Amino acid sequence: MPVDEATPAVRPAPTGPARRAGSGSRATPRRGRGGRRSERLAPYVLLAPALLILLLLRFWPLLLGVNFSFTGDGERDGSAVGLANYLELARDPLFLGALRNVGLLVLLLPVAVAIPGLLATFIYLRVPGHRLYRSVYFFPAVLSPVIVGAIFNLLLAFDGPLNALLGGVGLGPVDWLGDPDVAMFVVVGVHVWATFGMALVVFLAGFATLDASLLDAARVDGASLPQTIRHVIVPSLSRTIQFVVVTTMIGMLTSMFGLLYVMTSGGPEGSTYLPEYYIWIQQGQLNRPALASAASTVLFLIMLVVGLLQISLLRRAVREA
Amino acid sequence: MKQRAVWSAVLVAALALAGCGSAGGTRSPSGGADGKLVVWDWKSGEASAAAYLQKAKADFARKHPGVTVEFVAQPFEQYYTLLGTAIQAGKGPDVILFNGGGQIRDRADALLPLDDYLAEDRQRLTGWEAFSKDGKTYAGPVTLQGHPIYYNRTLYEKAGLDPAKPATTWSTFVADCATITTRTGAKCFALGNKEGFGIQFFLSVLGSGVLTPQEYDDWIAGRRNWNSPHVKRIFALWKETQDAKLNSDGANSTAMFNDSFAIFQSAKAAHVIGLMSDVGHWKDFSEFLTAEKLGVMRAPVVEPGATPSLPYDGGIGYGVARWTKDPKVAADLVRSLTSTDALKSFYADAGAIAADTTIDVSQGGPAVTTIVADLKAGKPALHVALSSKTLDLMGRLSQQLLSGSVTVDEAVKQLAASDQAG
Repeated sequence: MPVDEATPAVRPAPTGPARRAGSGSRATPRRGRGGRRSERLAPYVLLAPALLILLLLRFWPLLLGVNFSFTGDGERDGSAVGLANYLELARDPLFLGALRNVGLLVLLLPVAVAIPGLLATFIYLRVPGHRLYRSVYFFPAVLSPVIVGAIFNLLLAFDGPLNALLGGVGLGPVDWLGDPDVAMFVVVGVHVWATFGMALVVFLAGFATLDASLLDAARVDGASLPQTIRHVIVPSLSRTIQFVVVTTMIGMLTSMFGLLYVMTSGGPEGSTYLPEYYIWIQQGQLNRPALASAASTVLFLIMLVVGLLQISLLRRAVREA
Repeated sequence: MKQRAVWSAVLVAALALAGCGSAGGTRSPSGGADGKLVVWDWKSGEASAAAYLQKAKADFARKHPGVTVEFVAQPFEQYYTLLGTAIQAGKGPDVILFNGGGQIRDRADALLPLDDYLAEDRQRLTGWEAFSKDGKTYAGPVTLQGHPIYYNRTLYEKAGLDPAKPATTWSTFVADCATITTRTGAKCFALGNKEGFGIQFFLSVLGSGVLTPQEYDDWIAGRRNWNSPHVKRIFALWKETQDAKLNSDGANSTAMFNDSFAIFQSAKAAHVIGLMSDVGHWKDFSEFLTAEKLGVMRAPVVEPGATPSLPYDGGIGYGVARWTKDPKVAADLVRSLTSTDALKSFYADAGAIAADTTIDVSQGGPAVTTIVADLKAGKPALHVALSSKTLDLMGRLSQQLLSGSVTVDEAVKQLAASDQAG
């Protein structure tokens, strides 16, 4: 959580800009020089362990990665190549496809949020069997992506049960994981299936704070279900919805690798590449660590933008509360 | 605002640093403690490799009693990623198992040339080419890897064809396949191209039925003429097999390992382009179809003037890292790992075609004897000569060819550009 800048936890050092702003008009309590120095240093000493850990384990590797992205691979290993890696990325249809897929994920986000939202609404409104559904919906959330991927590989195989079912009702088979126009949606669908249970629980928690009298009032006024959802439930749950949007977005952008790896390996025709998968292929399979660093830097910048947007969204949500 | 300032500071600092250091890491010798050798592989955890390693270790212990050897089995899926990290760090295993071809050539600068150490094994072993780059050898071959066309003799019999005489020309082959499909319902080829490997095997096997021997040798030597009609013919043939419904269904979503092999084993397809060692090979297939019912054929002649041959190369081999303390001892371990006795066990237990051609395979059934007999006239596989980058691209293009979203001309053009770029 961001620290509120208006209330610093530590008194500002007297030599700082605050002092200058006051231009000496405010009387500072006189103490011995040693006491003042230790007081001045104390916050830095106390912050040092956390800062060092951040510097060493976060920023330093980050800097190295960015640095590597400006060097070459193979024969040009270690020599500066300027922006060559970035230009190569910009010209690589595979990487551009991976970025397009990130865009697709963002576009599919409302669906991924609406599904648990709707299902939670039904559970909240106590549709018959809601207790069973509550646990059934959550169940896939405890499975690892590799297991989920393997299960759906079997189900969605060309000669698998789903196509057999389609054949049974007279529809032709669909090459779920072999058709480039379909595969990405299938993988996203499976990801949503595997993870929506968590969002559902968050929604249910949000519903717990919902004012029941509002619902009763809506019912008395004769509101239909869609009207109740639109005018009562959605406004009351706006904070929960924002939170689910943020966490679902993070989930989609960072934890699809396992599914992609197991289900499509980036294929068919490279249509299910995401930047993470691209980085992994370049570094691990094609021995291009510098190019992979460049791709990582691009992914980092994207995540930075997304992250800052999310922070501002969350901040607004907190302020509204 | 403050946050933005911090981030811009970070980025500015990063850019200021940019262009120094190296993503490939430093190459200072630091690995290999005295008296101990560390070997990385993805095999030593398998039961079928136990006897092989035991013999190799015993052989090495006789030569260097004071040196302990530690085998570290890595998961194959992560192998080259982990190895890349070790290479970047400039330390790690002393002796490293490699796949032949692009995987070892791409990393040759982290390895020691072994020509002087392995000179005595030069004649006894074969498959060196796949572990060489610019005239230097970087590993001792353990197995040979190649791509025979396996066929199901039972399906041939059921279709009324003579299993002893598989087709030798493409047109009779297609006709035979039509007969098999109408009479038994089995497809012609079991094809798995999800990983994009299907095209690699296809290129290497059918390539010898399309290219003239001269064109073939030129390709291997690096003089690849992508504009020649014969090269285009191979990719057109790939598309034709799909359009003529010779392939099993859903090839682009079927994994070669091991779904396509399962299709062949369950007699849903009459042929499969398989491997010689590791998986999807004669020993695997024999378990399902029985050794007598498993046939091996050479590629049919597609274009007159071609001489079909068995495509094979060194499969896996052990290399020595540049940073090892005592290269001689490490190279001796490689020699032990490629000794006749050890390889004999590997052949018998894992079903690998060993790089040592003096091993007797007559007990293994007709398929393996045909393969070993074909080795003499065999040639390096066409796809092994390509870089991993081009192979990766070829995998995607092959899927597009199957689905019809790219033309043969366009695919070959892209491949030529990638191949010529390095």
